[in-house]
Amino acid sequence: MSGGYDASTAVMDYPRCDAQDKLAGRTRYTVDRAGPETLKAVLFRSNITAARIVRLNVEAARRAPGVRAIATAADAPGKFGLGIADHVLFAGDVIRHHGEPIAAIAADTMEQAKAAMELIELELDPLPAMLTMEAALAKGAREIHADWKDYEILLEGAKRGGNVAWEATVERGDSDAAFSRDDVTIVEGCYRVGRQSHVPFEPRAVNARFEDGRFNIETSTQVPWTVRSVTARALGIPESHVRVTVPAVGGGFGLKFDCTLEPYAAVLAKMTGRSVSLINSRREEQLTCLCRENAEIRIRSAVTPDGEIVGREATVLMDCGAYGGEQVFLTTMTAHTLGGNYRVGAVKLASRAVYTNTPPNGAFRACNGVYNTFVLERHTDEICREIGLDPIEFRRRNAIGNGDVGATGQVFEGDVLRPMLERMVEKYPYASSVESARDGWKRGRATTIGTWFVFVGPSAATVNLNADGSATLVTSGVEIGSGSMMQSLPQIIASELGIEPDAVIVKSADTDASGRDLGVGGGRQTVSLGAASAAACADVREKVLAVAGELLQAEASRLVLKDGRVEFRDGAGGSVRLTDVIARAEATVGPVSGSGAFTAPGVAAMPGCAAGHFIDAIDIPVFAVHDCELDVEIATGRVVVRNYRVIQDVGRAINPRAVHSQVQGGVVQGLGYALHEEITINDKGFFDQSGFETYRIPLAGDVIPVDLEMYEGAPSIGPLGTKGAGEVPILNVGATIACAVANATGKQVSELPLTPPRVLGLLKDGTEAIRLDHISRNWRENVISK
Amino acid sequence: MATSFRLNGETVIYHGDPRTSLLNVLRDTYRLTGAKAVCEEGFCGACTVHVDGEAVPSCLRPVGLVADCSVTTIEGLAERDAPHALQAAFRKHDVVQCGMCFPGMVMSLSKLLEENPSPSREEVKRGMTGNMCRCTGYERIIDAVMSLQDNAEARP
Ligand code: FES
Ligand code: FES
Repeated sequence: MSGGYDASTAVMDYPRCDAQDKLAGRTRYTVDRAGPETLKAVLFRSNITAARIVRLNVEAARRAPGVRAIATAADAPGKFGLGIADHVLFAGDVIRHHGEPIAAIAADTMEQAKAAMELIELELDPLPAMLTMEAALAKGAREIHADWKDYEILLEGAKRGGNVAWEATVERGDSDAAFSRDDVTIVEGCYRVGRQSHVPFEPRAVNARFEDGRFNIETSTQVPWTVRSVTARALGIPESHVRVTVPAVGGGFGLKFDCTLEPYAAVLAKMTGRSVSLINSRREEQLTCLCRENAEIRIRSAVTPDGEIVGREATVLMDCGAYGGEQVFLTTMTAHTLGGNYRVGAVKLASRAVYTNTPPNGAFRACNGVYNTFVLERHTDEICREIGLDPIEFRRRNAIGNGDVGATGQVFEGDVLRPMLERMVEKYPYASSVESARDGWKRGRATTIGTWFVFVGPSAATVNLNADGSATLVTSGVEIGSGSMMQSLPQIIASELGIEPDAVIVKSADTDASGRDLGVGGGRQTVSLGAASAAACADVREKVLAVAGELLQAEASRLVLKDGRVEFRDGAGGSVRLTDVIARAEATVGPVSGSGAFTAPGVAAMPGCAAGHFIDAIDIPVFAVHDCELDVEIATGRVVVRNYRVIQDVGRAINPRAVHSQVQGGVVQGLGYALHEEITINDKGFFDQSGFETYRIPLAGDVIPVDLEMYEGAPSIGPLGTKGAGEVPILNVGATIACAVANATGKQVSELPLTPPRVLGLLKDGTEAIRLDHISRNWRENVISK
Repeated sequence: MATSFRLNGETVIYHGDPRTSLLNVLRDTYRLTGAKAVCEEGFCGACTVHVDGEAVPSCLRPVGLVADCSVTTIEGLAERDAPHALQAAFRKHDVVQCGMCFPGMVMSLSKLLEENPSPSREEVKRGMTGNMCRCTGYERIIDAVMSLQDNAEARP
């Protein structure tokens, strides 16, 4: 690369520069920015699950004191969605879930807005509610979207129909033949998981203004460009009429990977000509959380006596709730997670996003990877039990390695999983952990493997070099707490330009200032934004070295940027300060700035074996090996985790301490999912958990320090060989806890979370096996026929 | 009815409804937004302030009940250029993530350390029961709190 900088200069435990103000309470998040001059908005939401709207009258509410505007379906008729445009902003004719917005009110004060809600007249004709996927898939079930055939298709190639919003399939090889071989053992299992709520400490929130004919939206989001396009679609205006800026975000975890509140505030801002603030109350945030979806899975495998997996078939039902949302995209990820980790002969996989009359689901850190890994690893241990093979040995033999073919036919590069697994058992040999549990407890240990990916895709960056030798980075990146904007990017730029990270100014996201970006999620920020930033720096470097070459009377190729100077690469005498070069450039060619862009080159898959997929292959796989030792209390079913160990493929860790923090935080969220976090839905279609009292997240007393070893050097197209590190730590936690509980108790664990009553049920054999009769044993009956 | 109290060292008089939560008064009327409204049910501790020297969640406390009390918020805890030792330790150990829980965390733990300057790890954990964090998984926060004692020991 021209300029030849030393990549290792990027590696350091650089502390984040936003900490001081966050610690002093000075950071203004979106929820902190609406002063008394701002109108306060509320959403009038449905308190019923499914109904036809017979009459809606907002006239009395409109005349209530302090009310400035009320918006309803007529004000935002556009449909939006991922893959299919099935979502509207306001329920107009039909209500499809509890909490669905019907109207939005802006008033001078919150109290006035709430009082006006009481005056809205609504007449409903209730419809039978389909609260479970089983009900929604039953023969003759009412179609939740009666007009699904008329929806605009945004991505071609998937099968849909009735209450199946989207279906993605993989068929590679002849699994029928594999299952009819006479030398194989067939192992089959059914699994089920509930919903997990993100509980970001800052709820979804937005402030909107309408100025000079354009919408100015300041919001707590991970995806400024999605907010821009969805708002434009919903309001039926050009995207260029929307500007999105993002202050510090108080946690996202995927919940803010979608546009939710922003268009409501935008509509009201235009109607009133005033700034409008809309903030979810904690209750609303909980009751309409776009959760990690509940899912039901049937899987079976044909395995030879020496542990070769010759055939695998699985069907995954993902509850997308009343609208398709993120689940439509996530159907793609089944192939790479449930179909991942292991070499498999022939495969048939189906993942179906199913409409129900429940609040829509969304993306949550490692998404369906978390439960697909749970299912795959539990199923793997069941296979080992059936054929009598040691689980570590089985994984050693079958883990995906260099040149192996994944579910969709992509060829993997590099041996990563197996050496990571070897390292784990070498560090913590199984023989040494035989110490038995106290009386009244059972001890279990498990080691699992997992595959996730970095969600690459378009990013753009501009780097402006300032007269004082600092550099300003302009992107649409958002700091949601993970540190990628505050640490990774300044470190990468500093290393590329030979300056200190403190001399890098990171502009907060602004769609008017930066190029398009897919957003923060899927571990992509350091990789995609980092690569775009590195490309912008290369552009800057070329310009700087050309000018410096004139000053030093040398070929640019002999020069490097280092310590705020331009020097000779070979150490030859003579150097010049970067600031002098910038001054010279400003006088001769103008200020120095560079731009860079990045997108995934796209890894090849096998043509024709995947249908309905958004991506057929994963550009940057990320692997993880987890290991845990735990005790189960026989009398209560309580699970106490004794040790938790992680070996994570990080590519190259440019800020090891920050990676550590992400792993500790991610594993703890995973422990919540594995042991106690679950949203349940009552028979009215409402969530039972409406706040912190009923939805329990891990407390300080629940956690232990996670033992992390970073595995470096696996192939990555990320800058400096980086991979995203924040998404993956949660991936195998459910799997590892479940396998360890199964090993401790000797029982089949088929469901998460492992709450004490559930574990007690297992111990007492009082837990009925999960049957999932609505998923056929004949895989072909589970897919929409060709 | 007016409620008079001391807020970060200055006397203020609040003229609104005395049943309004102290948290809302701080955030909406005085625009001190360091205390965060996260659960508003007394569970998470993100809204913690000191009332007459005691760390309390401000979301459950009607402002009328702090009449004549002395209220310190995160904004009033330390001078701008001289952060509290805890704030310095959290920064140095790079434990902050989204940051929403930290103002409350600092307010609670600063009281804990005042009462018990050399707590054990277990005591710190117990002291954090009323302060939740969704991002960090806690342990590194506790490392940072414990590091304050290393410093104390290092000093003669
Ligand atoms: S907001 Fe007061 S304790 Fe959570
Ligand atoms: S740092 Fe985000 S809640 Fe604690």
